[in-house]
Amino acid sequence: MTQIPVLQFQRSERDRVVAGICGGIADALGVDPTLVRLVFALLSLAGGAGILLYFALWVWTGGRHPVIAVLILALATMGLLQALGVPLAVVLGAGLMVGGVVLLARRGATLRPGGSFFIPGIALAMAGAVVMLDHLGSSHHFVGPGALAGALLLVLGPWVWQLASERNERIRLAERAAMAARIHDSVLQTLALVQRDADDAPRVRALARRQERELRRWLYGRGYDGATTIADALADAVADVEEAHLTRIELATAGDTAIDDALGELVLAAREAMVNAAKHANSDEISVYAEVEPTSVSVFVRDRGVGFDPGTVGADRRGIADSIESRLRRAGGSATITSSPGNGTEVELTMPRGGES
Amino acid sequence: MIRVVLVDDHELFRAGVRGELAGLVDIVGEAGTVAEAGPLIRELDPDVVLLDVHLPDGGGEAVIATVAPERPAVKFLALSVSDAAEDVIAVIRAGARGYVTKTISRDELFDAVRRVSDGDAVFSPRLAGFVLDAFRTGEPLGADEELETLTPREREVLQLIARGYLYKEIAARLHLSVKTVEAHVSSVLRKLQLSTRHELTRWAQERRLV
Repeated sequence: MTQIPVLQFQRSERDRVVAGICGGIADALGVDPTLVRLVFALLSLAGGAGILLYFALWVWTGGRHPVIAVLILALATMGLLQALGVPLAVVLGAGLMVGGVVLLARRGATLRPGGSFFIPGIALAMAGAVVMLDHLGSSHHFVGPGALAGALLLVLGPWVWQLASERNERIRLAERAAMAARIHDSVLQTLALVQRDADDAPRVRALARRQERELRRWLYGRGYDGATTIADALADAVADVEEAHLTRIELATAGDTAIDDALGELVLAAREAMVNAAKHANSDEISVYAEVEPTSVSVFVRDRGVGFDPGTVGADRRGIADSIESRLRRAGGSATITSSPGNGTEVELTMPRGGES
Repeated sequence: MIRVVLVDDHELFRAGVRGELAGLVDIVGEAGTVAEAGPLIRELDPDVVLLDVHLPDGGGEAVIATVAPERPAVKFLALSVSDAAEDVIAVIRAGARGYVTKTISRDELFDAVRRVSDGDAVFSPRLAGFVLDAFRTGEPLGADEELETLTPREREVLQLIARGYLYKEIAARLHLSVKTVEAHVSSVLRKLQLSTRHELTRWAQERRLV
Protein backbone atom coordinates (compact mmCIF):
# COMPACT_ATOMS: atom_id res chain seq x y z
CA MET A 1 0.00 0.00 0.00
CA THR A 2 1.39 3.38 -0.92
CA GLN A 3 1.20 6.25 1.49
CA ILE A 4 0.39 9.87 1.03
CA PRO A 5 3.37 11.35 -0.75
CA VAL A 6 5.59 13.35 1.53
CA LEU A 7 8.53 14.99 -0.15
CA GLN A 8 11.50 12.87 0.92
CA PHE A 9 14.52 15.07 1.11
CA GLN A 10 17.74 15.11 3.05
CA ARG A 11 20.05 17.95 3.83
CA SER A 12 22.52 18.11 1.03
CA GLU A 13 26.09 17.30 2.01
CA ARG A 14 27.77 18.73 -1.04
CA ASP A 15 25.50 21.64 -1.98
CA ARG A 16 25.12 23.76 1.12
CA VAL A 17 25.29 27.40 2.10
CA VAL A 18 23.90 27.20 5.67
CA ALA A 19 22.59 23.73 6.43
CA GLY A 20 22.04 22.26 2.97
CA ILE A 21 18.24 22.54 3.15
CA CYS A 22 17.79 24.29 -0.20
CA GLY A 23 20.25 21.93 -1.90
CA GLY A 24 18.38 18.94 -0.46
CA ILE A 25 14.99 20.20 -1.63
CA ALA A 26 16.41 20.93 -5.06
CA ASP A 27 17.77 17.36 -5.24
CA ALA A 28 14.45 15.86 -4.19
CA LEU A 29 12.47 17.97 -6.68
CA GLY A 30 15.08 17.70 -9.39
CA VAL A 31 15.33 21.46 -9.91
CA ASP A 32 18.13 24.01 -9.80
CA PRO A 33 19.16 24.81 -6.18
CA THR A 34 19.42 28.49 -7.10
CA LEU A 35 15.70 28.48 -7.87
CA VAL A 36 14.89 27.02 -4.45
CA ARG A 37 17.14 29.61 -2.76
CA LEU A 38 15.38 32.36 -4.69
CA VAL A 39 11.97 31.15 -3.48
CA PHE A 40 13.22 31.12 0.12
CA ALA A 41 14.67 34.61 -0.29
CA LEU A 42 11.36 35.94 -1.65
CA LEU A 43 9.46 34.25 1.17
CA SER A 44 11.80 35.89 3.69
CA LEU A 45 10.55 39.27 2.49
CA ALA A 46 7.02 38.18 3.48
CA GLY A 47 7.07 38.62 7.24
CA GLY A 48 10.25 36.57 7.55
CA ALA A 49 8.34 33.44 6.47
CA GLY A 50 11.25 32.14 4.41
CA ILE A 51 13.66 32.28 7.33
CA LEU A 52 11.17 30.58 9.66
CA LEU A 53 10.42 27.94 7.04
CA TYR A 54 14.12 27.26 6.65
CA PHE A 55 14.53 26.72 10.40
CA ALA A 56 11.39 24.56 10.47
CA LEU A 57 12.82 22.27 7.80
CA TRP A 58 16.19 22.21 9.50
CA VAL A 59 14.66 21.04 12.77
CA TRP A 60 12.42 18.64 10.81
CA THR A 61 15.34 16.90 9.09
CA GLY A 62 17.00 16.49 12.48
CA GLY A 63 13.99 14.26 13.23
CA ARG A 64 14.18 14.69 17.01
CA HIS A 65 11.78 17.61 17.52
CA PRO A 66 8.99 17.31 14.96
CA VAL A 67 6.56 19.27 17.11
CA ILE A 68 8.91 22.26 17.30
CA ALA A 69 9.36 22.05 13.55
CA VAL A 70 5.61 22.05 12.99
CA LEU A 71 5.27 25.00 15.36
CA ILE A 72 7.86 27.04 13.45
CA LEU A 73 6.23 26.01 10.18
CA ALA A 74 2.83 27.20 11.38
CA LEU A 75 4.45 30.50 12.46
CA ALA A 76 6.03 30.82 9.00
CA THR A 77 2.64 30.36 7.33
CA MET A 78 1.07 32.91 9.61
CA GLY A 79 3.87 35.38 8.91
CA LEU A 80 3.37 34.92 5.19
CA LEU A 81 -0.39 35.43 5.34
CA GLN A 82 -0.03 38.42 7.64
CA ALA A 83 2.38 39.97 5.19
CA LEU A 84 -0.18 39.45 2.45
CA GLY A 85 -2.68 41.45 4.50
CA VAL A 86 -4.97 38.56 5.44
CA PRO A 87 -7.08 39.13 8.59
CA LEU A 88 -5.59 37.84 11.85
CA ALA A 89 -8.23 35.14 12.49
CA VAL A 90 -7.67 33.65 9.05
CA VAL A 91 -3.92 33.76 9.66
CA LEU A 92 -4.36 31.90 12.94
CA GLY A 93 -6.72 29.34 11.34
CA ALA A 94 -4.35 28.74 8.44
CA GLY A 95 -1.45 28.27 10.85
CA LEU A 96 -3.38 25.64 12.80
CA MET A 97 -4.43 23.86 9.59
CA VAL A 98 -0.90 23.76 8.21
CA GLY A 99 0.36 22.35 11.49
CA GLY A 100 -2.36 19.68 11.46
CA VAL A 101 -1.85 18.64 7.85
CA VAL A 102 1.92 18.44 8.25
CA LEU A 103 1.51 16.26 11.32
CA LEU A 104 -0.83 14.01 9.33
CA ALA A 105 1.61 13.78 6.47
CA ARG A 106 4.47 13.04 8.86
CA ARG A 107 2.56 10.04 10.16
CA GLY A 108 2.01 8.83 6.61
CA ALA A 109 -1.78 8.95 6.97
CA THR A 110 -3.78 7.24 4.26
CA LEU A 111 -7.41 7.21 3.22
CA ARG A 112 -7.32 3.61 2.10
CA PRO A 113 -9.29 1.09 4.17
CA GLY A 114 -7.23 0.11 7.18
CA GLY A 115 -5.25 3.33 7.06
CA SER A 116 -4.66 5.25 10.23
CA PHE A 117 -5.04 8.91 11.12
CA PHE A 118 -3.06 10.80 13.64
CA ILE A 119 -5.71 12.26 15.95
CA PRO A 120 -3.82 15.40 17.15
CA GLY A 121 -3.14 16.24 13.51
CA ILE A 122 -6.81 16.06 12.57
CA ALA A 123 -7.79 18.01 15.65
CA LEU A 124 -5.37 20.81 14.84
CA ALA A 125 -6.47 20.99 11.21
CA MET A 126 -10.16 21.05 12.12
CA ALA A 127 -9.65 23.68 14.78
CA GLY A 128 -7.86 25.79 12.18
CA ALA A 129 -10.70 25.35 9.69
CA VAL A 130 -13.29 26.31 12.33
CA VAL A 131 -11.40 29.49 13.32
CA MET A 132 -10.96 30.45 9.69
CA LEU A 133 -14.53 29.73 8.59
CA ASP A 134 -15.95 31.42 11.66
CA HIS A 135 -14.20 34.61 10.72
CA LEU A 136 -14.79 34.36 6.98
CA GLY A 137 -18.44 33.44 7.44
CA SER A 138 -19.15 36.90 8.81
CA SER A 139 -17.19 39.11 6.49
CA HIS A 140 -16.20 37.35 3.25
CA HIS A 141 -19.17 35.39 1.94
CA PHE A 142 -17.46 34.40 -1.24
CA VAL A 143 -14.33 33.09 0.40
CA GLY A 144 -16.14 30.59 2.66
CA PRO A 145 -17.08 28.07 -0.05
CA GLY A 146 -13.59 28.40 -1.48
CA ALA A 147 -12.03 27.56 1.86
CA LEU A 148 -14.31 24.55 2.18
CA ALA A 149 -13.37 23.37 -1.28
CA GLY A 150 -9.73 23.91 -0.36
CA ALA A 151 -10.10 21.80 2.74
CA LEU A 152 -11.77 19.05 0.69
CA LEU A 153 -8.95 19.23 -1.84
CA LEU A 154 -6.40 18.88 0.94
CA VAL A 155 -8.08 15.69 2.04
CA LEU A 156 -8.97 14.23 -1.37
CA GLY A 157 -5.90 15.39 -3.29
CA PRO A 158 -3.55 12.74 -2.01
CA TRP A 159 -6.16 10.09 -2.68
CA VAL A 160 -6.55 11.17 -6.32
CA TRP A 161 -2.80 11.34 -6.63
CA GLN A 162 -2.57 7.81 -5.33
CA LEU A 163 -5.07 6.53 -7.90
CA ALA A 164 -3.08 8.17 -10.68
CA SER A 165 0.20 6.74 -9.50
CA GLU A 166 -1.31 3.27 -9.29
CA ARG A 167 -2.43 3.62 -12.88
CA ASN A 168 1.12 4.53 -13.93
CA GLU A 169 2.37 1.53 -12.05
CA ARG A 170 -0.08 -0.71 -13.91
CA ILE A 171 1.07 0.68 -17.26
CA ARG A 172 4.67 0.05 -16.30
CA LEU A 173 3.90 -3.52 -15.31
CA ALA A 174 2.06 -4.09 -18.59
CA GLU A 175 5.03 -2.78 -20.56
CA ARG A 176 7.34 -5.02 -18.65
CA ALA A 177 5.10 -8.02 -19.28
CA ALA A 178 5.06 -7.22 -22.99
CA MET A 179 8.85 -7.06 -23.00
CA ALA A 180 9.13 -10.36 -21.14
CA ALA A 181 6.74 -11.95 -23.62
CA ARG A 182 8.71 -10.60 -26.56
CA ILE A 183 11.98 -11.86 -25.17
CA HIS A 184 10.42 -15.21 -24.43
CA ASP A 185 8.82 -15.55 -27.86
CA SER A 186 11.81 -14.56 -29.91
CA VAL A 187 15.10 -14.51 -28.05
CA LEU A 188 14.64 -17.62 -25.94
CA GLN A 189 13.19 -19.53 -28.89
CA THR A 190 16.16 -18.59 -30.99
CA LEU A 191 18.60 -19.62 -28.26
CA ALA A 192 16.83 -22.98 -28.01
CA LEU A 193 17.10 -23.47 -31.77
CA VAL A 194 20.75 -22.47 -31.73
CA GLN A 195 21.48 -25.10 -29.10
CA ARG A 196 19.64 -27.74 -31.05
CA ASP A 197 21.27 -26.93 -34.38
CA ALA A 198 24.68 -26.08 -32.96
CA ASP A 199 26.48 -28.25 -35.55
CA ASP A 200 24.78 -26.60 -38.49
CA ALA A 201 26.82 -23.41 -38.80
CA PRO A 202 24.91 -21.76 -41.69
CA ARG A 203 21.61 -22.35 -39.93
CA VAL A 204 22.91 -20.95 -36.63
CA ARG A 205 24.21 -17.92 -38.47
CA ALA A 206 20.86 -17.38 -40.18
CA LEU A 207 19.00 -17.75 -36.89
CA ALA A 208 21.28 -15.25 -35.22
CA ARG A 209 20.91 -12.78 -38.07
CA ARG A 210 17.16 -12.99 -38.03
CA GLN A 211 17.00 -12.60 -34.26
CA GLU A 212 19.36 -9.65 -34.38
CA ARG A 213 17.19 -7.93 -36.96
CA GLU A 214 13.95 -8.55 -35.07
CA LEU A 215 15.34 -7.36 -31.77
CA ARG A 216 16.88 -4.27 -33.29
CA ARG A 217 13.73 -3.28 -35.09
CA TRP A 218 11.78 -3.70 -31.90
CA LEU A 219 14.35 -1.80 -29.79
CA TYR A 220 14.52 1.16 -32.13
CA GLY A 221 10.80 1.63 -31.85
CA ARG A 222 9.70 0.95 -35.37
CA GLY A 223 6.67 -1.25 -35.96
CA TYR A 224 7.25 -4.86 -35.20
CA ASP A 225 4.39 -6.80 -36.73
CA GLY A 226 3.06 -5.97 -40.16
CA ALA A 227 5.53 -3.52 -41.65
CA THR A 228 3.96 -0.23 -42.66
CA THR A 229 6.94 1.45 -44.32
CA ILE A 230 9.06 0.42 -47.25
CA ALA A 231 12.27 0.13 -45.19
CA ASP A 232 10.60 -2.16 -42.66
CA ALA A 233 8.97 -4.27 -45.37
CA LEU A 234 12.32 -4.69 -47.11
CA ALA A 235 13.94 -5.65 -43.80
CA ASP A 236 11.27 -8.34 -43.41
CA ALA A 237 11.86 -9.62 -46.94
CA VAL A 238 15.62 -9.66 -46.33
CA ALA A 239 15.20 -11.63 -43.11
CA ASP A 240 12.87 -14.14 -44.80
CA VAL A 241 15.23 -14.77 -47.69
CA GLU A 242 18.27 -14.99 -45.40
CA GLU A 243 16.54 -17.61 -43.33
CA ALA A 244 15.10 -19.62 -46.20
CA HIS A 245 18.28 -19.65 -48.28
CA LEU A 246 20.95 -19.43 -45.59
CA THR A 247 22.65 -16.44 -47.16
CA ARG A 248 23.77 -13.02 -45.99
CA ILE A 249 22.08 -9.89 -47.26
CA GLU A 250 23.30 -6.39 -46.47
CA LEU A 251 20.47 -3.85 -46.50
CA ALA A 252 20.98 -0.08 -46.75
CA THR A 253 18.22 2.47 -47.12
CA ALA A 254 18.05 6.22 -47.67
CA GLY A 255 14.69 7.72 -46.84
CA ASP A 256 11.50 5.91 -46.01
CA THR A 257 7.83 6.21 -46.83
CA ALA A 258 4.52 4.56 -46.01
CA ILE A 259 3.82 1.50 -48.07
CA ASP A 260 0.94 1.34 -50.58
CA ASP A 261 -0.18 -1.30 -53.08
CA ALA A 262 2.34 -0.35 -55.75
CA LEU A 263 5.21 -0.22 -53.27
CA GLY A 264 4.03 -3.57 -51.91
CA GLU A 265 4.57 -4.99 -55.41
CA LEU A 266 8.00 -3.35 -55.47
CA VAL A 267 8.95 -5.10 -52.24
CA LEU A 268 7.68 -8.45 -53.58
CA ALA A 269 9.68 -7.99 -56.77
CA ALA A 270 12.77 -7.11 -54.70
CA ARG A 271 12.20 -10.23 -52.64
CA GLU A 272 12.00 -12.26 -55.84
CA ALA A 273 15.29 -10.75 -57.00
CA MET A 274 16.92 -11.63 -53.66
CA VAL A 275 15.70 -15.22 -53.87
CA ASN A 276 17.00 -15.36 -57.40
CA ALA A 277 20.44 -14.15 -56.33
CA ALA A 278 20.50 -16.51 -53.35
CA LYS A 279 19.63 -19.51 -55.51
CA HIS A 280 21.66 -18.91 -58.65
CA ALA A 281 24.44 -16.43 -58.04
CA ASN A 282 26.62 -18.72 -55.94
CA SER A 283 27.76 -15.66 -54.00
CA ASP A 284 28.05 -15.39 -50.25
CA GLU A 285 26.83 -11.85 -50.09
CA ILE A 286 23.92 -9.94 -51.55
CA SER A 287 23.50 -6.18 -51.24
CA VAL A 288 20.14 -4.47 -51.25
CA TYR A 289 19.84 -0.69 -51.39
CA ALA A 290 16.58 1.23 -51.39
CA GLU A 291 16.30 4.93 -52.08
CA VAL A 292 13.13 6.94 -51.59
CA GLU A 293 13.08 10.03 -53.77
CA PRO A 294 10.34 12.65 -54.14
CA THR A 295 9.02 11.15 -57.38
CA SER A 296 10.08 7.51 -57.21
CA VAL A 297 11.35 4.66 -55.09
CA SER A 298 14.26 2.55 -56.35
CA VAL A 299 15.54 -0.75 -55.05
CA PHE A 300 18.84 -2.27 -56.17
CA VAL A 301 19.53 -5.95 -55.56
CA ARG A 302 23.11 -6.88 -56.31
CA ASP A 303 25.18 -10.00 -55.97
CA ARG A 304 28.84 -10.54 -56.76
CA GLY A 305 28.23 -14.06 -58.03
CA VAL A 306 28.64 -15.94 -61.29
CA GLY A 307 26.43 -13.66 -63.36
CA PHE A 308 25.06 -14.63 -66.75
CA ASP A 309 24.90 -13.42 -70.31
CA PRO A 310 21.52 -11.76 -70.83
CA GLY A 311 21.67 -12.82 -74.50
CA THR A 312 21.85 -16.53 -73.74
CA VAL A 313 19.82 -16.93 -70.58
CA GLY A 314 18.48 -20.26 -69.46
CA ALA A 315 14.75 -20.70 -69.48
CA ASP A 316 14.48 -20.63 -65.69
CA ARG A 317 16.25 -17.31 -65.27
CA ARG A 318 14.28 -15.77 -68.09
CA GLY A 319 11.15 -16.87 -66.30
CA ILE A 320 12.16 -15.26 -63.05
CA ALA A 321 13.18 -12.08 -64.79
CA ASP A 322 9.80 -12.07 -66.49
CA SER A 323 8.00 -12.49 -63.22
CA ILE A 324 9.90 -9.59 -61.74
CA GLU A 325 9.52 -7.38 -64.78
CA SER A 326 5.87 -8.08 -65.51
CA ARG A 327 4.92 -7.77 -61.83
CA LEU A 328 6.42 -4.28 -61.72
CA ARG A 329 5.01 -3.22 -65.07
CA ARG A 330 1.51 -4.14 -63.96
CA ALA A 331 1.94 -1.88 -60.93
CA GLY A 332 3.35 0.96 -63.04
CA GLY A 333 7.06 0.48 -62.40
CA SER A 334 10.04 -0.86 -64.30
CA ALA A 335 12.90 -3.30 -63.85
CA THR A 336 16.37 -3.41 -65.39
CA ILE A 337 18.63 -6.42 -65.06
CA THR A 338 22.35 -6.01 -65.64
CA SER A 339 24.66 -9.00 -65.67
CA SER A 340 27.62 -10.52 -67.39
CA PRO A 341 29.39 -13.81 -66.71
CA GLY A 342 31.78 -13.53 -63.78
CA ASN A 343 30.70 -10.03 -62.77
CA GLY A 344 27.59 -10.73 -60.74
CA THR A 345 24.11 -9.43 -61.34
CA GLU A 346 22.26 -6.29 -60.44
CA VAL A 347 18.52 -5.87 -60.59
CA GLU A 348 17.26 -2.29 -60.51
CA LEU A 349 13.59 -1.85 -59.63
CA THR A 350 11.86 1.51 -59.84
CA MET A 351 8.35 2.54 -58.91
CA PRO A 352 6.99 6.06 -59.39
CA ARG A 353 5.42 7.56 -56.28
CA GLY A 354 2.01 9.08 -55.93
CA GLY A 355 -0.65 8.47 -58.63
CA GLU A 356 -0.35 4.76 -59.37
CA SER A 357 -0.75 4.23 -63.10
CA MET B 1 52.49 -4.62 -40.38
CA ILE B 2 49.71 -2.28 -39.30
CA ARG B 3 49.57 -1.93 -35.50
CA VAL B 4 45.99 -2.18 -34.23
CA VAL B 5 44.31 -1.68 -30.86
CA LEU B 6 40.94 -3.33 -30.36
CA VAL B 7 38.36 -1.58 -28.16
CA ASP B 8 35.20 -3.57 -27.53
CA ASP B 9 33.52 -4.66 -24.33
CA HIS B 10 32.71 -8.14 -25.65
CA GLU B 11 35.58 -10.51 -24.95
CA LEU B 12 34.15 -13.04 -27.42
CA PHE B 13 33.99 -10.51 -30.19
CA ARG B 14 37.58 -9.38 -29.53
CA ALA B 15 38.74 -12.99 -29.65
CA GLY B 16 36.93 -13.43 -32.96
CA VAL B 17 38.52 -10.36 -34.55
CA ARG B 18 41.93 -11.35 -33.16
CA GLY B 19 41.59 -14.77 -34.77
CA GLU B 20 40.39 -13.36 -38.07
CA LEU B 21 43.06 -10.72 -38.41
CA ALA B 22 45.94 -12.87 -37.10
CA GLY B 23 48.84 -12.65 -39.54
CA LEU B 24 47.28 -9.73 -41.41
CA VAL B 25 47.72 -7.01 -38.79
CA ASP B 26 49.58 -6.76 -35.48
CA ILE B 27 47.04 -6.50 -32.64
CA VAL B 28 49.12 -4.76 -29.99
CA GLY B 29 46.47 -4.17 -27.33
CA GLU B 30 42.86 -4.58 -26.26
CA ALA B 31 40.52 -2.64 -24.03
CA GLY B 32 36.92 -3.08 -22.93
CA THR B 33 36.04 0.35 -21.56
CA VAL B 34 36.56 4.03 -22.28
CA ALA B 35 38.63 4.32 -19.10
CA GLU B 36 41.00 1.52 -20.15
CA ALA B 37 41.16 2.55 -23.79
CA GLY B 38 42.41 6.13 -23.30
CA PRO B 39 45.71 5.40 -21.46
CA LEU B 40 46.30 2.23 -23.50
CA ILE B 41 46.05 3.98 -26.87
CA ARG B 42 48.16 6.92 -25.68
CA GLU B 43 50.85 4.49 -24.51
CA LEU B 44 50.86 2.14 -27.50
CA ASP B 45 50.36 4.81 -30.19
CA PRO B 46 48.91 2.33 -32.74
CA ASP B 47 48.19 3.03 -36.41
CA VAL B 48 44.52 2.10 -36.19
CA VAL B 49 42.00 1.67 -33.38
CA LEU B 50 39.05 -0.61 -34.06
CA LEU B 51 36.43 1.04 -31.92
CA ASP B 52 33.07 -0.24 -30.75
CA VAL B 53 30.36 2.43 -30.92
CA HIS B 54 28.88 1.32 -27.58
CA LEU B 55 31.02 0.86 -24.47
CA PRO B 56 29.81 0.36 -20.90
CA ASP B 57 31.15 3.71 -19.69
CA GLY B 58 30.40 5.85 -22.72
CA GLY B 59 30.30 5.90 -26.48
CA GLY B 60 33.18 5.34 -28.84
CA GLU B 61 33.20 9.11 -29.33
CA ALA B 62 34.43 9.50 -25.71
CA VAL B 63 37.53 7.45 -26.54
CA ILE B 64 38.23 9.60 -29.59
CA ALA B 65 37.75 12.76 -27.55
CA THR B 66 40.32 11.70 -24.92
CA VAL B 67 42.93 10.36 -27.34
CA ALA B 68 42.75 12.53 -30.46
CA PRO B 69 44.23 15.75 -28.98
CA GLU B 70 47.41 13.94 -27.88
CA ARG B 71 47.70 11.39 -30.65
CA PRO B 72 46.37 13.04 -33.78
CA ALA B 73 47.97 10.41 -36.02
CA VAL B 74 45.93 7.52 -34.59
CA LYS B 75 43.10 6.57 -36.98
CA PHE B 76 39.78 5.28 -35.70
CA LEU B 77 37.53 2.82 -37.48
CA ALA B 78 34.10 2.41 -35.87
CA LEU B 79 32.81 -1.12 -35.63
CA SER B 80 29.32 -1.77 -34.41
CA VAL B 81 26.18 -3.82 -34.51
CA SER B 82 24.24 -0.61 -34.08
CA ASP B 83 21.56 0.17 -36.58
CA ALA B 84 20.79 3.60 -35.20
CA ALA B 85 21.94 6.34 -37.54
CA GLU B 86 22.57 8.79 -34.71
CA ASP B 87 25.03 6.46 -32.93
CA VAL B 88 27.04 5.94 -36.06
CA ILE B 89 26.95 9.59 -37.11
CA ALA B 90 28.04 10.63 -33.60
CA VAL B 91 31.24 8.57 -33.78
CA ILE B 92 32.01 9.73 -37.30
CA ARG B 93 31.51 13.34 -36.29
CA ALA B 94 33.81 12.81 -33.31
CA GLY B 95 36.56 11.91 -35.79
CA ALA B 96 36.35 8.25 -36.83
CA ARG B 97 37.56 7.65 -40.41
CA GLY B 98 34.87 5.13 -41.18
CA TYR B 99 32.21 2.74 -40.03
CA VAL B 100 31.72 -0.95 -40.74
CA THR B 101 29.19 -3.39 -39.31
CA LYS B 102 30.35 -6.30 -37.18
CA THR B 103 29.07 -8.82 -39.70
CA ILE B 104 31.75 -7.69 -42.16
CA SER B 105 33.85 -10.47 -43.70
CA ARG B 106 37.51 -10.98 -42.80
CA ASP B 107 38.87 -9.73 -46.12
CA GLU B 108 36.67 -6.65 -46.09
CA LEU B 109 37.65 -5.87 -42.52
CA PHE B 110 41.35 -6.14 -43.35
CA ASP B 111 40.83 -3.99 -46.41
CA ALA B 112 38.99 -1.40 -44.29
CA VAL B 113 41.80 -1.32 -41.68
CA ARG B 114 44.41 -0.91 -44.39
CA ARG B 115 42.46 1.85 -46.07
CA VAL B 116 41.90 3.76 -42.83
CA SER B 117 45.58 3.43 -41.91
CA ASP B 118 46.42 5.00 -45.31
CA GLY B 119 44.28 7.97 -44.34
CA ASP B 120 41.30 7.09 -46.51
CA ALA B 121 37.69 6.94 -45.43
CA VAL B 122 35.73 3.70 -45.23
CA PHE B 123 31.99 3.66 -45.70
CA SER B 124 29.95 0.52 -45.33
CA PRO B 125 26.82 0.33 -47.50
CA ARG B 126 24.76 1.12 -44.43
CA LEU B 127 26.73 4.26 -43.60
CA ALA B 128 26.44 5.37 -47.22
CA GLY B 129 22.67 4.98 -46.86
CA PHE B 130 22.66 7.10 -43.69
CA VAL B 131 24.68 9.84 -45.33
CA LEU B 132 22.50 9.93 -48.43
CA ASP B 133 19.51 10.09 -46.12
CA ALA B 134 20.93 13.01 -44.15
CA PHE B 135 21.95 15.00 -47.23
CA ARG B 136 18.88 14.01 -49.22
CA THR B 137 16.38 16.70 -48.34
CA GLY B 138 15.99 19.65 -46.05
CA GLU B 139 17.71 22.97 -46.08
CA PRO B 140 21.34 23.39 -45.26
CA LEU B 141 21.80 25.51 -42.15
CA GLY B 142 25.27 26.90 -42.62
CA ALA B 143 26.41 29.58 -45.01
CA ASP B 144 29.05 27.31 -46.51
CA GLU B 145 27.10 25.89 -49.43
CA GLU B 146 29.97 23.64 -50.53
CA LEU B 147 30.03 21.94 -47.13
CA GLU B 148 26.29 21.50 -46.82
CA THR B 149 25.55 19.61 -50.02
CA LEU B 150 26.97 16.62 -51.85
CA THR B 151 28.18 17.08 -55.41
CA PRO B 152 26.40 14.91 -58.02
CA ARG B 153 29.59 12.85 -58.30
CA GLU B 154 29.82 12.25 -54.55
CA ARG B 155 26.18 11.24 -54.53
CA GLU B 156 26.84 8.79 -57.35
CA VAL B 157 29.81 7.27 -55.53
CA LEU B 158 27.82 6.92 -52.30
CA GLN B 159 24.88 5.34 -54.10
CA LEU B 160 27.19 2.74 -55.60
CA ILE B 161 28.73 2.03 -52.18
CA ALA B 162 25.22 1.60 -50.76
CA ARG B 163 24.45 -0.79 -53.64
CA GLY B 164 27.38 -2.96 -52.58
CA TYR B 165 30.07 -1.98 -55.10
CA LEU B 166 33.75 -2.05 -54.19
CA TYR B 167 35.89 1.04 -54.85
CA LYS B 168 37.55 -0.54 -57.86
CA GLU B 169 34.18 -1.52 -59.31
CA ILE B 170 32.91 2.01 -58.77
CA ALA B 171 36.01 3.39 -60.46
CA ALA B 172 35.48 1.16 -63.48
CA ARG B 173 31.80 2.01 -63.70
CA LEU B 174 32.28 5.78 -63.48
CA HIS B 175 35.48 5.76 -65.57
CA LEU B 176 37.52 7.16 -62.72
CA SER B 177 40.70 6.04 -60.99
CA VAL B 178 40.43 4.32 -57.62
CA LYS B 179 42.33 7.29 -56.15
CA THR B 180 39.63 9.64 -57.38
CA VAL B 181 36.91 7.48 -55.85
CA GLU B 182 38.82 7.54 -52.57
CA ALA B 183 39.12 11.32 -52.81
CA HIS B 184 35.33 11.62 -53.23
CA VAL B 185 34.70 9.42 -50.22
CA SER B 186 37.19 11.38 -48.10
CA SER B 187 35.48 14.59 -49.16
CA VAL B 188 32.10 13.19 -48.08
CA LEU B 189 33.62 12.21 -44.73
CA ARG B 190 34.88 15.77 -44.26
CA LYS B 191 31.42 17.15 -45.00
CA LEU B 192 29.90 14.63 -42.64
CA GLN B 193 32.18 15.84 -39.86
CA LEU B 194 31.96 19.56 -40.51
CA SER B 195 28.50 20.13 -41.94
CA THR B 196 25.84 21.84 -39.87
CA ARG B 197 22.93 20.25 -41.70
CA HIS B 198 20.16 19.85 -39.24
CA GLU B 199 19.77 16.08 -39.66
CA LEU B 200 23.39 15.67 -38.64
CA THR B 201 23.26 18.19 -35.82
CA ARG B 202 20.02 16.73 -34.58
CA TRP B 203 21.50 13.25 -34.48
CA ALA B 204 24.62 14.54 -32.82
CA GLN B 205 22.66 16.63 -30.33
CA GLU B 206 20.68 13.60 -29.30
CA ARG B 207 24.02 12.11 -28.37
CA ARG B 208 25.09 15.40 -26.72
CA LEU B 209 27.98 15.94 -29.04
CA VAL B 210 27.47 19.46 -30.32
